[in-house]
Amino acid sequence: MNIDRNLAPPPLLTLLAGLPILGCMVVMGLPAALVDSPFLSFRVFYTLAYLFWIIPLGAIHRWLWRRGANGWVTAAVLLPASYAMSVINAVIALEWLASPESRARADWTFVFGGLDGCWLALIAFSGLQGLVLHRAALRAEGERLRAAAAAARDAELRALRYQLQPHFLFNTLNAISALVNDERPRDATRMIARLGDFLRATLEDAPGHEHTVADEIALTAAYLDIEKARLGERLRVETYTAPGTLDARVPYLLLQPLVENAIRHGIAPRTVPGTVAIRFEHAGSELKVSVTNDVVEVTEGAGGVGLANIRARLEALYPDRHQLVTGIEDGRWTVRITMPWAPVETSIEAIA
Amino acid sequence: MIRVAVVDDEPLARSGVLARLRAEDDVTVVTECVDGHGMAALRKDRIDLAILDVQMPGMDGLEGLAAIPRDERPLAVLLTAHDSFAVRAFELEAVDYLLKPLDDERFAEAIERVRRKLGRDRRAPAVDRFGIRVGSRLSFVDVADVTWIEADGDYAALHANGQRHLLRESLHELSRKLDASRFLRVHRSAIVRVDQVVELSPRPNRDAVLRLRDGTTLRASRTYIDALLAALHRGS
Repeated sequence: MNIDRNLAPPPLLTLLAGLPILGCMVVMGLPAALVDSPFLSFRVFYTLAYLFWIIPLGAIHRWLWRRGANGWVTAAVLLPASYAMSVINAVIALEWLASPESRARADWTFVFGGLDGCWLALIAFSGLQGLVLHRAALRAEGERLRAAAAAARDAELRALRYQLQPHFLFNTLNAISALVNDERPRDATRMIARLGDFLRATLEDAPGHEHTVADEIALTAAYLDIEKARLGERLRVETYTAPGTLDARVPYLLLQPLVENAIRHGIAPRTVPGTVAIRFEHAGSELKVSVTNDVVEVTEGAGGVGLANIRARLEALYPDRHQLVTGIEDGRWTVRITMPWAPVETSIEAIA
Repeated sequence: MIRVAVVDDEPLARSGVLARLRAEDDVTVVTECVDGHGMAALRKDRIDLAILDVQMPGMDGLEGLAAIPRDERPLAVLLTAHDSFAVRAFELEAVDYLLKPLDDERFAEAIERVRRKLGRDRRAPAVDRFGIRVGSRLSFVDVADVTWIEADGDYAALHANGQRHLLRESLHELSRKLDASRFLRVHRSAIVRVDQVVELSPRPNRDAVLRLRDGTTLRASRTYIDALLAALHRGS
């Protein structure tokens, strides 16, 4: 994985990583404090020295991190640096804290070997800070991946949405041109007006990938007006919603491809009027949508682009929480969709 | 005669309006203007109604309308491609505003509204039943049984007692024959009986979706909403 090292956490946060070690040092100093040992001043000094040294040590560490240094390089720099800090501690302790007799007893081994007081603590601090830096980078990377996945899903849904429009638009223009050729100006102007309404509804709305059942019904009605202008009284539409379902969430343009299929394969080939029935029902934690239509003869119908489009969008929006089945029921072609029930909160005052 | 001025910068758009006005026998076109300046010169002693485009180069339709002193302003029907002018249109007391491309029925209805405003209403007395012809047989549907009516091509479909009856009449003509306190136009393509409405769900663009007692769900467009809400509140 490619880690972005510019996304390091703020320095103060990484210094907080030094707190557990400070705690350890306080615990180690407690026995000396209780018996009032001469070592107490050493303990206090080492603790303060530790607090002082973690600032430059932490800064060096973060600088190495940002420059992209690997673990070996970091260790090769930080170990001697912290060793040097410990040696300076020992020199200071010897010069100012030690009693004259212990100073007389001390030799170079105290300066270069008696380093347990601080060196280990500084090494442990570097280790902890390294963990903090790494974890922050991992989290940032995770967020970046999630954002990328969401953007990809968004792009996919958008593409699927736009896939629906153009062929419908051209079909309608073709129908209008036929009406003009046929010298049916009233029907032509009616259809142009409906097309205007539909375009206004789809172009001016800029919703997300979902909206309410009420919005979807209004949008579908604008589309159906065009089909009605084309098919006249041959097309009948019944729209039923169960109480409360108008505020449920559904994918944008869920119905249009289904209704278009129903009309093209079911109603248009007929010579007598046919009905497309749209139903929204609520069952437990699910919203049930069905679109049924009369058919010329009872055969298994084809899915087409529209159905594939809806499947892809449902999968992107509600992975593993939806169902889409098609088939003949009671002599009518039926598409049934089940999806999670998600009502939109609306205020009662909205119409007052 | 209703004296009309047609104001639009596009000749084709003007001729579209003129063609539709020819269908109205009590309307005469007095003048045509091409911008807001021409509009601003109109006064109601000479013009009863201005049918004007909102977006025009130079001075637009709304500016032209606003430039006329309020008590000298003729009635106005606005034409627009976008419906974002509704509030301003309301402030200027426009009788109606129509969206382009124009719809013939909707246009005729705007003229009807103008007639009512001018006190030249041609409303027929309310009928209490409809004769339905199926082949050579004639049957009758009581208006009291009708729950809603939808436009169906050149026909109107009456929904009564769970059945659908076709009547060769436009919704526009039909709405003039119905008791206006019980039946309301809610959309270009639908009339509902007010007591059948059980749910009204407003949409962000000021349209709404209605649910009737039997679960039938239909659109109501914003131009009819105010009258519908008033009727619903009256009923409750």
